[in-house]
Amino acid sequence: MLGAGSLLAAAAFAWPFAVSAVPADAQAAVPFVAFALVPALIVALALTLDREMYTAKTVALLGVLSAIGAAVRIAGTGVGGVEAVFVLLILAGRAYGARFGFLLGLLTIAVSSLLWGGFGPWTPFQMFACAWVGAGAGLLPRMRPGLARRPRLEIALLVGYGIAASYLFGLVMNLWFWPFAVGGGTDISYSADAAPGQNLASFALYSLVTSTLTWDTVRAVTTAVGLVLVGPAVLAALRRAKLSPR
Amino acid sequence: MFRLHPGPLQAAVVLAVGFVLLRVVYRVLFGGVGGPGPVVVELPQLRLAGPFSHVTLLGEITAVGLGNAALSALPVAAVILIFGLLNAVIDVRRFFARGAGRGPLRAISRSLVIAWGTFPALLDSVRRVRVARQLRGERGAAALLVPVFEQTIERALALAASMETRGLAAGHPLAIHPFPGDVAHPVTMTDASLTFDGPWRLEGLSIKLTPGTLTVIAGPTGSGKSSLLHSLSGLFQHFHEGSQGGRIEVAGVDRQLTPPRDTATVVGVVSQNVRLAFAAETVHDEIGFALAVRGAASALVHERVLEVAARLAIEYLLARPIEALSAGEATLVAIAAALVGRPTLLLVDEPLADLDDAARERVCGVLDGLAHGTREAPVCVVVAEHNTAEFARVADAWLDIQGSRVLVRTADDRPTTPAARPLPSGGESESVVPLRQPPLRTAIETAAGLGQPLVDIRGLSVQLGAQTVVDDVSLGIRSGEIVALRGPNGAGKSSLLQAMALPSGPGTVLIAGQDVQSLTRRTRRHLVALVPENVDDLLFSTTVREECRRADRTRRVTTPTIQVFARLLGREAGPTLAALLDRHPRDLSAGERLCLVIAIQLAVAPALLLVDEPTRGLDPQARTLVGAALTRAADSTGAVIVATHDHDFAARVATTTIRMEAARIVPVLVSH
Repeated sequence: MLGAGSLLAAAAFAWPFAVSAVPADAQAAVPFVAFALVPALIVALALTLDREMYTAKTVALLGVLSAIGAAVRIAGTGVGGVEAVFVLLILAGRAYGARFGFLLGLLTIAVSSLLWGGFGPWTPFQMFACAWVGAGAGLLPRMRPGLARRPRLEIALLVGYGIAASYLFGLVMNLWFWPFAVGGGTDISYSADAAPGQNLASFALYSLVTSTLTWDTVRAVTTAVGLVLVGPAVLAALRRAKLSPR
Repeated sequence: MFRLHPGPLQAAVVLAVGFVLLRVVYRVLFGGVGGPGPVVVELPQLRLAGPFSHVTLLGEITAVGLGNAALSALPVAAVILIFGLLNAVIDVRRFFARGAGRGPLRAISRSLVIAWGTFPALLDSVRRVRVARQLRGERGAAALLVPVFEQTIERALALAASMETRGLAAGHPLAIHPFPGDVAHPVTMTDASLTFDGPWRLEGLSIKLTPGTLTVIAGPTGSGKSSLLHSLSGLFQHFHEGSQGGRIEVAGVDRQLTPPRDTATVVGVVSQNVRLAFAAETVHDEIGFALAVRGAASALVHERVLEVAARLAIEYLLARPIEALSAGEATLVAIAAALVGRPTLLLVDEPLADLDDAARERVCGVLDGLAHGTREAPVCVVVAEHNTAEFARVADAWLDIQGSRVLVRTADDRPTTPAARPLPSGGESESVVPLRQPPLRTAIETAAGLGQPLVDIRGLSVQLGAQTVVDDVSLGIRSGEIVALRGPNGAGKSSLLQAMALPSGPGTVLIAGQDVQSLTRRTRRHLVALVPENVDDLLFSTTVREECRRADRTRRVTTPTIQVFARLLGREAGPTLAALLDRHPRDLSAGERLCLVIAIQLAVAPALLLVDEPTRGLDPQARTLVGAALTRAADSTGAVIVATHDHDFAARVATTTIRMEAARIVPVLVSH
C-alpha cells in the first residue's frame, strides 16, 4: 500500500513529464489532476497507516518526535535551507522502520505548517517528500551482526544517505513547482509540446539555478554534520525506547 | 473553529511578493523579458551548448517585458494569498482535537494533540538543560540537543504507558460499562516469577489480595518494586518486555494474555512521574481521558469527571490547565484520572517521592479512603513505596522484596529496610544520630558571621516574573559545615541554590573571598558546583565511562571522575565496576545516577557543593551512600549545602539547619 501510494504520488510529482503520455484533449487537465491526487493520496495512506500505527507507544513517539521536528524546522526557517529536520527523520526512520519514518515525515510538516500557519497547495508535496526521506532511511540495509559493534560505519551509511536525500529532495520539490515558478515565455519554461529531452534539459537548468547549488548543498552539509554530531547519541536514545521496527 | 490570526496572512504576503520577484529574476536570466516598447537594458545574449542548446541566457530587457513577467506571476501569488487568508481565519487544530477520540484518523490526530502538548515541555526542557550546561561548565548546541532529546523520549514513553493503561487502542472500544471482572478477587498470583534480560528476578510469588485493602510493596531502590506493581498492570509483560512465569490473574483475567489497554476499566494505574504522563491540556480532560479515548459521549464523561473529583475533593482544580498544578495536586489529579473508569484495582507507583509533608499526608489520606471508605465500592489499592513510615497507619499488608523473594507481612510487621552499610560514625540506621557534634548555634548566628566564613552571601534576591522567589538572603558558611536547607515546597530553596551557583541578579556571593558573578565559566566551577534536583539534566553522554571522560576533559581535575564515582559507590575497580561504566547513564538506578552526577560535579573539588533534594526517590541504603558522600565532600573540599524535605537525612548528615519560608530565611531555634 505504501509502495503503491508512493508510486502514484511520484507520478503526480513528475506530471510535467507525464503529460505527453496522456491523450491530447486531456492534457490541459493534467496539472489539476496532479494537484488533487497528492492530497488524496496522503489522506488514503494516512487512513491505512492509522490503523496499523494505533498503539500507545507509536502514537506517543510520533507525537513528541514530530513536535521536535517541527520545532527544529521552525527554528531553522530564518536560515533558509538549513533544515536540520532531516537529521531527525533519517535517524527515526533508521531506528523504527520505514512506516514510522514515513508518518513522521508527514506529521512533522503537518505540525510545523499548523504552528506557522503555512498550509497551502505546496504542503502535500512537502509532506510526501519529507515522508520519503524518512521512509528511505528505514529501507537502508541492516548492519550485519559482525559490524553491529561499529557504530561509526552505520553513521557513515546514514551520512551518505542524508547527502543523497538532500539533493533528491530539492530535485523532487523543484519538479512539480517548476512550471509555476518560471511561467511561460522563457527558454527554460515547461512546454507541453516540446520533446521530453528538451523539457528535461530545461528542468535540469532550472533546478541547478534554483536550489541544487545553493539550498540543497547547504542542506546536505547541515544533514551530514548533524548526523555526525548527534547521530550516535540520538540513535541510542531512540533504540533504548524499544519500539520494535515494523 | 474560526479566529483571526494575522501571522499567517503576513507570511503569505511576504511569500507572494517573493514569488513575483523570483519570477521576474528567472525571466531576466533566461531571456523572457523582451518585447515591444523601449529597451531598458541591453544585455549580451549567451547561447548554451549541448543538451541545453535551446536555452539563451540574458538578452534585452524591456519595460513591457518586465511588466508581463510580473503580471504572469499574479495568479500563483493570488493562490498563495488566498491560502494565507484561510490559514489566518481557520483554526485547523480544532479538527484534530475532535478526531483524537474516535474516527478513522484517531492515531494521527492523537499524535498531533500530543505534539501540541509537547511544545511547552520542550521549551521547559531546553531552559533546564541550558542551566545544566552552565552548571557543568560546557558550551555548544550539540551538548544541549542530546539531553533535551533524551528527556523528550522519556516523556513519550511515560505518556505511552499512561495512555496504554487508560485504554488507548483497546480491543473493545465501547467498554464503558465493561465486564466488571471478578470483583471479589482483584489479584491472584500463583507461583509466578518475573524476569528481565539481566540478573534481576522475582520468584515463587503466590499472593492473594482482597477488595477494600491497602497493600504496600516495599524494598530498596532497584529491587523491583515497580516491576512487581506493573506485573499487575500488565505494563511489565506487555510494555517493558519482561517475561512472566506461573500465573497472574487480575480480576479473573489472565495478565499474561491480556494487554493493559483491555483492562483499563478494571485496573487504574498512577505512574511514577505523574507530570510526564499527562496526556490532555486541562485537568477536566485529563481525568476524563480514559473514558473519552474509548469513545464515551461527552456528557457521560463530564458526569463521571465531576463524580470522581467530588470523591477526592478536587473540584476546584477542574478548570485549571494541566501545567498549573503543584506536585501534590498533580498526584491527586493522576489518582482521579485512574479512578474515572471505576476500577476494582488501583496501582500507585511511588506517589510520595516529590511531595512535602502536607501533600504526603493528603495523598495517604486519599488512598486510605479509597481502600477503607464505606460510601463507595471498596477498591483494592496497591502502592509501591519505600517511604513505609507514612503508610504505617493505613496499610493492611506489606509485600517486602528481599532478594528474589517477596515476603508477605501483616499490618503491624512493617518492613524497615536496614541500611546495608552503616554511616561512617557507626550510627544506627533507623534512629536519628547526628554524624558530628556541631557547635550549638542558629542559622541567624551563622549569618552574623563567626570568624572568617568560607561562603559569604549578602542581599541575594531572585525575581521570577512578577514574583520574588528569593528575598534578600544573607548567610555565612564556614569550612567543613554541612548545611541543611529546609522548608515547604515553593519556599524558594531551589532558586536560592541556583542563584548561589549562577548568580545573575542583585546581591553578592563571595566564596573564599572571590565574587562568583565576576568569574568565568571554568574558574567558577572551582569555587561552587550545584547538583540540581533533576540530576538527569546533567547527563550528556551515552555511557557512564564517556560521561566521566567528558567531565575530565572540560576542566582541570584533581582526581579522575571515574575514581570519584567508584569511591562514592564504595566499589573497587573490577568487572562489576567495568560493567557499570559501560551502561547508559539513564539506565542506572536513581542512587547510582545521583552519585554519578555528584562525582561529575566534585571532580574539580569545588569549595562549595550545593545539592538539591538528594534523597528524592532513594531507599535507606542509597540515602546512607549519599550521606556518606556528602560528609566526605565537606571534609575534603569545603562546605556543603543540601536542600531537603527528608527530616531524618537532614538530622543525620547536617551540622546546621537553615529554614526557608516564603522566599526568606527564618530563624530555626532547634539546632541538633
